[in-house]
Parts: sequence; structure tokens; C-alpha cells
Amino acid sequence: MICPRCRHPKTTVLATSPVPGVWEVLSCDRCLFSWRTTEPANRIDPDRYPARYRFTEHDIESAVDVPVVPA
Amino acid sequence: MAYADLREFLQALRDNGQLLTIDEPVDAEPDLGAAACAAPKLGDAAPALMFTNVNGFDKAQIALNVHGSWANHALALGLPKDTPVREQVEEFAKRWRNFPVPVRHAENPPFLENTLTGEEVNLFDVLPLFRINEGDGGFYVDKAAVISRDPEDPEDFHKQNVGIYRMQVKGRNRLGLQPVPQHDVAIHLRKAEERGEDLPIAIALGNDPVITLVAGTPMAYNESEYELAGALREEPVTLAKGPLTGFDVPFGTEVLLEGVVLGRERELEGPFGEFTGHYSGGRRMPVIRIDRISYRTDPVFEHLYLGMPWTEIDYLLGPNTCVPLLEQLRKEFPEVQAVNAMYTHGLLAIISTKKRYGGFAKAVAMRAMTTPHGLGYCKVVIMVDEDVDPFNLPQVMWALSTKLNPAHDVVTIPGLSVLALDPGSDPAGMTPKLILDATTPVAPDVRGHYSQPVQAPADADAWVSKLTAMINGRES
Repeated sequence: MICPRCRHPKTTVLATSPVPGVWEVLSCDRCLFSWRTTEPANRIDPDRYPARYRFTEHDIESAVDVPVVPA
Repeated sequence: MAYADLREFLQALRDNGQLLTIDEPVDAEPDLGAAACAAPKLGDAAPALMFTNVNGFDKAQIALNVHGSWANHALALGLPKDTPVREQVEEFAKRWRNFPVPVRHAENPPFLENTLTGEEVNLFDVLPLFRINEGDGGFYVDKAAVISRDPEDPEDFHKQNVGIYRMQVKGRNRLGLQPVPQHDVAIHLRKAEERGEDLPIAIALGNDPVITLVAGTPMAYNESEYELAGALREEPVTLAKGPLTGFDVPFGTEVLLEGVVLGRERELEGPFGEFTGHYSGGRRMPVIRIDRISYRTDPVFEHLYLGMPWTEIDYLLGPNTCVPLLEQLRKEFPEVQAVNAMYTHGLLAIISTKKRYGGFAKAVAMRAMTTPHGLGYCKVVIMVDEDVDPFNLPQVMWALSTKLNPAHDVVTIPGLSVLALDPGSDPAGMTPKLILDATTPVAPDVRGHYSQPVQAPADADAWVSKLTAMINGRES
């Protein structure tokens, strides 16, 4: 499964449901987006994820530090 | 009355018909966020929600909208649930004048019933986490009391800070943290990073409702939120020591996370739908490593929905934003009558004041912008006369529509600071600020035709009482 937000191919399983087999929580190794596998399709399907929330490589590389690390 | 912990308050809400338990099966997404968004729309007496049957979880108890109505806010302060808003603010201010109330310490807090350390630490094993808004970058902890100390003066109780900051869950023991530069935790972190150190931190989830109110209150750097809580509860707060950090934490807290903010480390965080009604954007922000989790058996997870106002956070940050501004203004200007800074945490504030002389109201507005909270907020300040209730928006609109002369009473001040989350700030964190002076001009600012105000007939107030009694009699 690729990241719905930035389409990075590497993801990690963060958690599995306490009741076995109901859902998993996954996380993108690049943009750190996380999602539950039972969420609506527009949150977890890369093709249906809303364009206004998508991350590009440029978004990730140009993110600013808040707060700035002191000199 | 004072509540010992969240559980006591939930029982009080239940006893007052202010807690709705939903035991039918729901999905974590989108149901929990949708319900928590919906609850405050039910009006001034909207209930808190308790979800007990969320798909995939086994023992989760999720409390939402706990502070999310004027009725619940009143009950949090031990007031009758139908107490009018302005009276709640005035009572808040009255009790503040008893600040500081020293704290009590006790041993063997109930959160020591269960402990996870080292490799056992897993936030997902203890907290039923979920997403509240579709564009959020993940699951958040957004209603916890975050406790930190001044690294240059770690034994000073009064410099210990208790605040609410959003935290994105990024792993079994990893959280992102948003320290807004105007807030005290950012000062603590800067000092730690300048020394090349990590910043120890304790995070208390699920508390007595007054602890949450004070954690959201803008106080001076060396004032203790816990000692304010004692004043507001009219009873000292009981604290325990965090077993890892030694920090003072609420005795009755449901879940206590302890660890460090990793010094000089930043990592992608967000976006998160904020109290401004807009997403924050993705920034690189500090990271917390959790080293120990302590928790009560079967903990209640208290969480908060926020987004386009009004939501629970607007009740949580309403009176506790008005009162410090009121008290700080009155120190220098006793003419100030009331402050309504409930709009977007005080990005807009309405202040009523008597006037000493022409131009006085504009000076009060500028002072509001230079209070500690005003440095990051008070982008728009509306000034009204002492006979206008700033909590009565039709009266405020009347003042704006009749008292304000655009040639004289609209003042824009360029190049001021504001919190970077203000979506209108450009660049983020910078904004012009606006004064709208809707007070009646007084000498030597002589202008307009204001010498003949219409006074209500002398018996109008008596008729209000009489008509109200007649209506009530008719209903019974």
C-alpha cells in the first residue's frame, strides 16, 4: 500500500486493532501521514485523496522549522 | 463544588442530564469527529458525549465535548448549568482575585495502577486514537495538560508550565509537538536547546475540568496554573509527582505520559484543522519521545474536536481568555468594564470602557494589543461605551453602526505580531491590526450629534420582570 497523501511506496504498520482483524493503522515513511485502513476512501485511497491535502516532494523539502532551532 | 478528577465531573454531567452515552457500534472515523463537531451545534445546553463501542477497540471509553456548551462550562465551575455567559465570566474574574491558592501534594496517585516502560511503551495500547478532520495529517492528542519546567531554574514551581498543545501521534513512543512561540513551553524548549539538552516533559490526559481550563489560560510566565486552578475551584488542587520526571501532575489524571522533547530535532508535522477554522499547513516541528506511560485501569480518553467556530475549544478558551485581558487592562485603566475576547481565542476582542477624555478608548485598544496575550492575538479590537454589553452582539452592532465615524475611528497599525496560525497573516506571524472605536466621542474630541440619546422609559426594567412573570405564570 502506498501513501494516500504523497504516494511514497514505503509504509509502516503503527498499530493493529485490539479486536483482532478489524483494522490497522499505517504510516508513511516519508511524509509521516498516518491512517486507519477502515477510514473512508477519500482519506486512504491515493486516487481519491483530495488534491488540496496532497503533499509533493517540494512541499516536504520546503517545510519550515517551527520554532527555528537556536543558533 | 470542586471535582477530584474527570470521572467525578462526568458523573456530575450525567446527574445534570449533560452527558449522552452512545453504546451503539460506531467507526472511529468519520463517526467520532462528526459527532463531536455536531454536539456544540445543539445549543447552549449541548451535552458531552461518551462513546463506549467503537469498532476494533475493546475497552475504549471516549469522552468528547466535555466543555462544549455554556451549561457544561458552568458545571465545570460548580455553577448552576443555566448561568448566563456574562455571569460565568464575572464569576471567573471574581475567583481569579483569590489567586494564588497553594497546592496540596499526595502520594500513591491512581495512575500508578498500570505502568509501561522502555520497549513496552506503546501509545496505541493505551489510547483509542482517531482522526477528527479529513485533512489532518494523522491522529492527535489535543486536550492534554502538557507540563514542563524552566531548564535554567528547574526547581522553581511557579515557572513550571501547564499548557495545552497539539501533539501528532507518529509512532508507539513518538509525538510531534506544536510549541507556539508566544507560549511558555516554547521558551522552555529554546532554553534547553541553547544548552544542547533535551527538554523533559509530562503529559497528563483526562483531568478535573478546571485543570483543562487553566491549561488554556494565558498567564504570566512565573504564575502557576495549578494555583489559579485552586482559586477557580475554590479548593486547592491535589498534585502528585510524575514517577519519571518528578514534575507536578494532577493526582487524578487518567493517563500520564513522560519523556523528553528531543533537543534541536524537527520533523514534518501536520497539517491539523485548527481553532481558526483552517488547516495549519505542514511544518517541521519538535518531536517528543515517550519513555514511560502510567495509567488508571480502564482509562477514559478525553478528546476535543475543533474547526470552524463554534466548537468545544471556543467554550474552553472563552472566559479564560476574557478574564486575563480584563484584569491586565484594569490594572492601568480602571475605567474598563468588560472584555469579550471569545472570538477565535481573542483574535477579535470587544472592550467596553468609560472615557477619561478624547482618544482614551483608542489607547485602551492599543494596550490590549500589547498585553502578553495581545501580542499574539487582538488583531481586531472593537471599543464600545460602558453602557454597551460586549457580550450582547446586537448592542455591539448598534454601537458600530451609530458611533463609529470611518474618518476618525478606524485605526490600522502596521507590522505587528500575531500567532502564525492566523491564516490572514502575511508572512505568517505578521499582521496589521485594527481598532474600531465605537465609543461616543468626548471632549476635546467634540464631533457628531450624540447629545440626545434615547433613554428607555423609567419603568422598562420593571416591565421586563412583570412580563416575564406573566409569561411564566401562563406556562405553568
